[in-house]
Amino acid sequence: MGEERPGGAGSGSGIVPAMKIPDDLRYSSDHEWVRLEDGRVRVGITDYAQDALGDVVFVQVPEVGAVVSAGDSISEVESTKSVSDIYSPVAGTVVEVNPELDTAPQRLNEDPYGGGWIFVVEPADPADVEALLDAEGYRALVDG
Amino acid sequence: MVLSHSPLHDVHRGLGAKLVPFGGWEMPLSYPTGTLAEHLSCRRGAAVFDVSHLGTVRVEGAGAFDSLQAVLTNDLTKISPGRAQYTHLLDDDGSVLDDIIVWWVADDRFDVMPNASNTERVRSAVGGTDVTATRAVLAVQGPGARSRLAAAFPEAAAVARFGVQELDLLGSPCVVAGTGYTGEDGVELAVPAEAAAAVWSAVVAAGVSPAGLGARDTLRLEAGLPLHGHELGPGITPLQAGLGWVIGWKKPGFRGRPALEAERDAGPPRRLRGIALDGRRPPREGQAVLVDDEQVGVVTSGNFSPVLERGIALAFLQPALAVGTAVTIDQRGAAAPGAVVPTPFVPATAAA
Repeated sequence: MGEERPGGAGSGSGIVPAMKIPDDLRYSSDHEWVRLEDGRVRVGITDYAQDALGDVVFVQVPEVGAVVSAGDSISEVESTKSVSDIYSPVAGTVVEVNPELDTAPQRLNEDPYGGGWIFVVEPADPADVEALLDAEGYRALVDG
Repeated sequence: MVLSHSPLHDVHRGLGAKLVPFGGWEMPLSYPTGTLAEHLSCRRGAAVFDVSHLGTVRVEGAGAFDSLQAVLTNDLTKISPGRAQYTHLLDDDGSVLDDIIVWWVADDRFDVMPNASNTERVRSAVGGTDVTATRAVLAVQGPGARSRLAAAFPEAAAVARFGVQELDLLGSPCVVAGTGYTGEDGVELAVPAEAAAAVWSAVVAAGVSPAGLGARDTLRLEAGLPLHGHELGPGITPLQAGLGWVIGWKKPGFRGRPALEAERDAGPPRRLRGIALDGRRPPREGQAVLVDDEQVGVVTSGNFSPVLERGIALAFLQPALAVGTAVTIDQRGAAAPGAVVPTPFVPATAAA
């Protein structure tokens, strides 16, 4: 996730809610999560990312069948305050997109690790997932 | 740069607000409820916004009326003590240096309220004293604003639309005006800094929900209201912004008048209009507006309309483009269809 506007995440908060970072997922440094499911990877944005974005009002999902490289910007998420690019965490082919986001983009806020998933990629090499951060590594990034 | 803090800063922190820099201040963008919910609470019920970042320049004394009347665009003879007026400060070329609300508090006392970052510029143009740091300003807005506020402060809730009244709230001398920036009915309370937290608490206890500047921005956009730095600013005249009614043409003069007269006679080269998209994607400032692949304008502000559930924008367009014209907005390479529509996008809600 890359914010187009600098400083959009807010400079501080009185009560910092504990960010959920599930142990069974992998993470990119762009604040996306990846879940390995039968050789495919499901992708969404993290709790930290949805909190920084604020209320999500639009998601441009990639096209099913698109062949993507790791790091390609393949999706866009817009909140009431900014737009963010979503990058493919691995190389492969997009095989599924979340049909609900067309009318209910707020799923990214409500349930970022569940109903708020964005797309599924069939990776060219499933071992690529191992190169992503684990929960501990991602927590260090967020707390850093 | 050190950011100024509202007298309500600790209150916002306690509520878990997201605080962001705005015009030299650190102010709440949203509370944990989120911008969309805060927006709808104002459209459907009542919301309170901390707008202490707005400036207050106090102009007092026998010459106060004359100095404001000579510099600002609107005609103060249209109102009287105890009334408020929206007006502009222009540059010599007719550009809007700032848009301002003047509260005519008493015969020889005016509280002039510029945008946060323009306070010193306005003070130097109209004279007076910057008293911004001495007070907080709470905007209580929404169809239920007056009925809920009446439970805490009945006299404040009864101040008429565009009325201005000095009142004691919780024993502190305040100024209350029937003004706001959401398109809804409501009042704004200027409260001494030391009393701000107690007044805020009483307002919230009366059933009014805190809302941040994120919701304030989407509300003003739905209401078609201009924001300085977007729809008003260097190179933009009131006529281009569709605000000719703020010009007191019948009074002898004001700064920028010759340039504005020339534009009035020639016709403004562009006109601020509303655009509603068919889809949800928020238009953004700077995006091109097109008709048949030809650029006809540019977006100055855009967002998702929580009430209409579609993208809306204010845009400067070629003056001949009428309401009803089909347009597209180039959203990062995607042509989003929509149309030129009248503003406000959303009419004020009937009192609830």
